[in-house]
Amino acid sequence: MKLIGKLTIFLCGTLLIVFANKFPDFGDPHSPAATHLSPYFIEHTMADTSVPNIVTSVLADYRGYDTMFETTVILAAGLACFFLLRLPEEEEKEIYFRHVPTGVTIRIEECGAAPEDSEVFQRIDSQWVPCDIIIRSTSRLLIPFIQIFALYVVAHGHHSPGGGFQGGVVLGAAVILFAISHNLRTTVAKIGEKSAAIMSAAGVFIYAGTGALCLVLGESFLNYGALAPILGTDRVMARSHGILIVEIGVALAVMSVMIWIYYNLSSAGKQDEGL
Amino acid sequence: MVNTLPALVIIVPLLAALVVAAAGFINKRACFPIAVGALSVSFLGAAALLVRVVNTGVAIEYRFAGWAAPMGIVYVIDHLSALVLVVITAVALVNLVSSKQTIDREFKDKEGAFLSLYVLFTAGLIGMTATGDAFNLYVLLEIASLSGYALIGLGKTRAPLATLNYLFLGTIGATFYLLGVGYLYIATGSLNMADLAAILPGMQNSGIVLFAFIIMLSGLFVKMALFPVHGWLPGAYSQSSSAAAGLIAPLTTKVTVYIMVRICLNLFSVDYTFHHLNAGDILVWVAIATIVFGSLSALAQTDYKKMLTYIIIAEVGYMVGGFFLGNRMGMSGAILHIVNDAVMTLCLFMAAGIFLWKTGTEERGDLKGLFGSMPFTMAGFVLAGLSIIGVPPTCGFFSKWYLVSGGIAAGQYAFVAALIFSSLINAVLFFRLFEISYFEPFADHHHGSDKSAGHGGAGAVIREAPMAMLVPFLFVSIMLLVLGIYSGRIVTNIIHFAIPAGVI
Repeated sequence: MKLIGKLTIFLCGTLLIVFANKFPDFGDPHSPAATHLSPYFIEHTMADTSVPNIVTSVLADYRGYDTMFETTVILAAGLACFFLLRLPEEEEKEIYFRHVPTGVTIRIEECGAAPEDSEVFQRIDSQWVPCDIIIRSTSRLLIPFIQIFALYVVAHGHHSPGGGFQGGVVLGAAVILFAISHNLRTTVAKIGEKSAAIMSAAGVFIYAGTGALCLVLGESFLNYGALAPILGTDRVMARSHGILIVEIGVALAVMSVMIWIYYNLSSAGKQDEGL
Repeated sequence: MVNTLPALVIIVPLLAALVVAAAGFINKRACFPIAVGALSVSFLGAAALLVRVVNTGVAIEYRFAGWAAPMGIVYVIDHLSALVLVVITAVALVNLVSSKQTIDREFKDKEGAFLSLYVLFTAGLIGMTATGDAFNLYVLLEIASLSGYALIGLGKTRAPLATLNYLFLGTIGATFYLLGVGYLYIATGSLNMADLAAILPGMQNSGIVLFAFIIMLSGLFVKMALFPVHGWLPGAYSQSSSAAAGLIAPLTTKVTVYIMVRICLNLFSVDYTFHHLNAGDILVWVAIATIVFGSLSALAQTDYKKMLTYIIIAEVGYMVGGFFLGNRMGMSGAILHIVNDAVMTLCLFMAAGIFLWKTGTEERGDLKGLFGSMPFTMAGFVLAGLSIIGVPPTCGFFSKWYLVSGGIAAGQYAFVAALIFSSLINAVLFFRLFEISYFEPFADHHHGSDKSAGHGGAGAVIREAPMAMLVPFLFVSIMLLVLGIYSGRIVTNIIHFAIPAGVI
């Protein structure tokens, strides 16, 4: 059986190499890929959509419908992680707290009252990690700059490499950095699982909803030109603005899904409290 | 309104999936009605499209974002895709309606996520069917696969392992398809199917196109579980929950067969597939191997649902073999079988869901005495069984008739023999089940939801499945007859136009 597997891999690899030989040269200006559709995009993008970055306009306008589903794929990944990993709430028999100034750990049984939102008491459980003051402070310093950079990446997708996916990942990474440098409980207290989930759906909804709005306004789905009366611009600029709107949606979705998946993976589906 | 239907058919489920995903965290009760509503709208849209296409005879094109074909993405609804769209939406809707109780019981707190993935999966299949763009097809294939893995993953104890297997193989299949699309793009510079179909006849001797054809088909074969790359299917489908199995088992393989048909007929053209490459002969033999293997393996199973999964593999062989016979009869049979097999499989998996709900197991022996306690369910089950065997006037007979006639016309007697062999095996399989459930004494142990069942003496007490499960199930089993009676019309009015005129 192993031999058959190896032979198959060998055969596939050989075929790939043999047929790759027949490719046009890399960067060949006369190859079909360079002569069939590309000239249209290079010549018309600016006139059609007023976006200097051709990649962005192809991604979010000419083939924006694909990108909408790519965003949906990310949401589906978040949903899948939640669906497969999330565990129901477990009855907690006892809770541990540490009295920070003295370092004494106390155990509270079922009926006992737990100290809530106290500065001196810290809850200890499987998600508790000892906080290192250096790491914590460094991260606190970094996170705002990471977030601002992420917003720049989102907003500047029209002119430079970037856009919703990249910006969203960076935004998500900022929150995950916070979760790593502090702990999951603090992070969940700031951005709950519920908000992460709803924001994920809302991000894709901004994208699909923009498309549906164009449909309601009497044009084809995702034809941002239809938004011109609402945005108060001409049809070409409306396309440019439409791209920005959907990029924001993508960024929101990607960020929240990253956070949501991190919550479920890092705590093996337990998180802080059950569903 | 009619012109926007191709978009609405997929956009409504997509938006509903997003709303349901959020509603799962806000108001769980709202999820189910929204999902059912969206799928109903989608079904009505698909039906309207089919009617329109049949009446006008012209394919409907929809341009997303307003860009014309090679630049933008277009949806093309022709006879073939409209027919498959109706099947997809109908199967998804009926299965969802019938499995409300199982979903409530099995996914208590995760109902929102389940329903959202369910609707997303359906939307993915709808898009794969409707699209006229080779890359867009891949994106939607990703949606359908990813949500499919999640839906299957939460089932019986061994479900995660089976799903992991499925995930590896499914990803390989999807990647092969994508690789093929990439090769085609390198060779032609286009992703639009109609545009590709216009360019490709001029480059029939290109090695890149040949490899694209080989690797796209190989990827699809993995996805549809053709022998010998079928390994993921039995585990994945038999371990999953009834609600997920009832959606995924009837649709995934059938839609993949549809894509194969679409690619061979409309992308690479009949001339390239059957005359230039002469791919038919080899692939018919692969299909024969699949049929024989699937049938024999089904014979070896004692678990009812596992047996069904091997029958699915055999049926994939029917469709692939029939299509690659290369004549009009065979292709009609293959396409008709896409419809019929989806309905038959749905019916059998719904029956499996009801048995599981009532008896708590899927062992063959535990069907004992069910004729007495659940006469209506068993009546529907007998119809489904007869249809799989191919007894007239159920729909299974008619597609098999076309396939057999096609086989004889093409001189592929081995394929005809394999079909008849498989029908005989199916007869053995199902009559054994009928015998167990009709003649064997009532089993005493019942550990389903209904604890009091099983003490009514000789099974005289009727304890049917809940109405919400029974009514859709009976509806589907009656559909088997309706489809059978109208199969002549389906072939002459719809399938006839789906096959290019050059095929005799």
